[in-house]
Amino acid sequence: MKRIFAIVLVLLLVFSTAACAKTAGPAKGKESDWEIVVVPKDATNPWFVRMDVGVKEYAKESGLNVYQKGTPEIDATLQSQLIQDLIAAKVDAICVVPVDPGSLEPVLKQARDKGIIVIAHEGAPLTNVDYDIEAFSNDQYGAFIMDNLAESMGEEGLYTTMVAHVTNASHNEWADGGVKRQQEKYPNMTLLEAEPRVESEDNGDIAYQTAKELFKKYPDLKGIMGTSSYDAPGVARAIQELGLEGKVFTSGTGMPADNAELLKAGAVKALTLWDPALAGKAMAALAVKMLRGEEIKDPVDLGVEGYTNLKFKEGSSTVLEGEGWIVINAENVDSFGF
Amino acid sequence: MTKFVKNLTQRNETYIFIVIVVLSLMIQFRSGQFFTSNNIVDQLSALIVPGLFALGAFMVIVSGGVDVSCPALASLSMYATTRILVDINYQGGIFLPIIMSLFFGAILGAINGVLIASFNLPPLIVTLGTSSVFKGIMQGVLGSVQIPVIPRGMSSFGAASLFIAKNPQTGLTSRMPVAFMALVIVLIIVYFFLQRTMYGRGLYAVGGNEISAHRAGFNVWMIKFLLYVGVGMISSLAGLIRVCMMTQAHPTNMLGMEMMVIAGVVLGGTAITGGAGSLTGCMLGTILIVAVQNSLILLGIPTFWQGLFLGLLILVGMGVSALQVTRATKVKGPMIKGAQS
Repeated sequence: MKRIFAIVLVLLLVFSTAACAKTAGPAKGKESDWEIVVVPKDATNPWFVRMDVGVKEYAKESGLNVYQKGTPEIDATLQSQLIQDLIAAKVDAICVVPVDPGSLEPVLKQARDKGIIVIAHEGAPLTNVDYDIEAFSNDQYGAFIMDNLAESMGEEGLYTTMVAHVTNASHNEWADGGVKRQQEKYPNMTLLEAEPRVESEDNGDIAYQTAKELFKKYPDLKGIMGTSSYDAPGVARAIQELGLEGKVFTSGTGMPADNAELLKAGAVKALTLWDPALAGKAMAALAVKMLRGEEIKDPVDLGVEGYTNLKFKEGSSTVLEGEGWIVINAENVDSFGF
Repeated sequence: MTKFVKNLTQRNETYIFIVIVVLSLMIQFRSGQFFTSNNIVDQLSALIVPGLFALGAFMVIVSGGVDVSCPALASLSMYATTRILVDINYQGGIFLPIIMSLFFGAILGAINGVLIASFNLPPLIVTLGTSSVFKGIMQGVLGSVQIPVIPRGMSSFGAASLFIAKNPQTGLTSRMPVAFMALVIVLIIVYFFLQRTMYGRGLYAVGGNEISAHRAGFNVWMIKFLLYVGVGMISSLAGLIRVCMMTQAHPTNMLGMEMMVIAGVVLGGTAITGGAGSLTGCMLGTILIVAVQNSLILLGIPTFWQGLFLGLLILVGMGVSALQVTRATKVKGPMIKGAQS
C-alpha cells in the first residue's frame, strides 16, 4: 500500500512539474514584470559595449525591464554558465550572441524547455532558438558595398574585388553580391577580367602591397571593392603613397575607431558595417513581440532602423535577415564609440 | 681570371643571382613595370621587414639551429611597446620606442637563449614552444586588440622618406622609407660581427661541430646565448618598423612569416645543417622571395595559382643551386669565403 502511494506521489510530482512547464509560455503576466536579458559574447569588447547602448535605449523607450549581462571575457563555457543562471532566475526571454553556437545548443534547449523565449544574433546555425536575427543577407550587403564604391567612382570605370581568402565563405558572397549589383545597375563599370578577385589574407600589409601591384600593372584600374576590415585601410595606404588620391577609390567593411584617421584624411570616403546597438535593440524588440503573443510573419517590422522589413532566409524558418547596414564617413565616425 | 670564373660557378650565390635576373626580365617582359624607378623602390621597401627577419634567421641557421619564434617575438615586443607608449600618451620621437623594443627583444631572446644554450634542447622545439608562449602572453595577459592610432613620433618615422621615386610614364610615386636605413645598418653590424670578430668565427664553428668548437676553446654557451639575444633584438626592431610603417599596430599580422623567411635564407645557399652560408646568399635569397611575392600580379598569375607558383619557384631555385654546388664541390664550401662578397 505504501509502495503504491509512493508511486502515485512520484507520478503526481512528475506530472505537476510537466504541467507547470506547459503553463509557462508567451503572453504571461503583466508587461512590467517581464525580464528580458541580452547576453553578448563578452562585456568589455567595444562592439558589445556599443550593443549595450542600444539595449539601454530600448529599455528607456519601452519602459520594460530589458538589460544586458555579459561575461568578463569571451569564453563559451562562461557564457553557457551565465545562461544557466538566467534559466534558474526564471527570466522571460534570453537574447544571445553566441561565442560558439554548437556548444550552446544544450543549454538553449533547456531554456526553451522551461518556456523561455530564445533569440539569437549571428547564430544562424543554431536550432534551439525561436528566431535568429541577422543584420543583412550576404548578397545584399555586397550590393551595398558596391553602391558605396560606385558612388565614389562616379559609376564608371574598371574595378576589382578583394577578399581575405578566396576560400572565405562570407567575403566571397559579399564580393559576388557586389559584382551582381554592378552588372544590374552600373553598366559603365567593368570588372577587371585578368584579376577579378585578389587576396589580402586579412592582413593590412598584404592588402597594401597587392593594391600597389594592381595599380602598377593596370593603370586604368579605378576602384577596389574590399570586404575584410583590413582591405580598405591597406588599399587606402597604397592610394596615398602612389599619389592617386581622388583618382582611384576603395570601399569595404571597417570599424569606426580603427578608421577614424583614414576617413578624416579623406583617403577613404565611406566604409560600411552594421551597428551592434541596433542589433541589440532588434533582438529585444523581437522578444517583446513574442511575449505579447504576436504572430511572427514575413516581413517582420521591429520598429528599429534597418530591421523594419525582416525576411526569412531562403529555406529557413528561424533565420531573419534585415537591412541593418550603415555607412560611416568623416562626419559620423566619432559618434559610434566603438 | 679563369680561376675567378670557376670560383663563381661553384658558388650558390651566382645561381640565385641568375634566377633573380631571369625572373626580373620575365616580370619586365610581362608587365613592362619591373625596371621602373617606383617599382624598384616598392620592392626595396617591401624588403625591410623580411630582410631583418632573414638576418636573424640566417645567424641561427648558421649556428645549427632553426628559429621559428621571430614573428611571435616581434609581435609581442612591438605590441608591448606600442601599448605602453599609447597608454602614457607618449609624444616624443622614435628614439624611445626603438630602445624599448630592443630591450623587450633582448629579454625575450634571452629566454630562448637560456633554454637552448643551458639545457641543450633542440632550437626548433624550443622556439616552437616559446612562439606559442609569446602569442599567449600577447593575447591572454595583454589582451591584444588592434591599436588604430600609434604615437605621433612612430607614425612620422614610418612615413618619413629618404627620397620619392616618380615614374614619369604612369605618374605613380613611391616612397623610400627612412626605415630602410635600419636594414642597412643592421646588415653592416651583422657583417662586422660575423666576418671581423672572433664571435662570428665561433658561431660558424658551433654550427659546424659543437664539440670541436668547444675543444677549440670557444665558449659555446655564451655564443649561443648572445646569438638568441641578438636575434631577439633584430626581430623586435623589425616588428617596430612594421608598426611604424603601417601606422597601426595589429598583433597577428606578422605571424606565419617565419616559413617564407627561412625558405629565403636556405634558398640563398645557407646549409640548413649549420656551419656554412654567406650573408650575400641570405640577402639574395630573401630578395628573390620578396620580389616574387610582390610581383605575382605583375606577372599576371591568377590568385588561385599564386601559392603553387611560389612553391614551385622555391623548389626549382633551391634544386638548381643545390645541384650545381654539390656537383662542383664535393666538400662543404668554406664558410669564411662569403666575406669577400
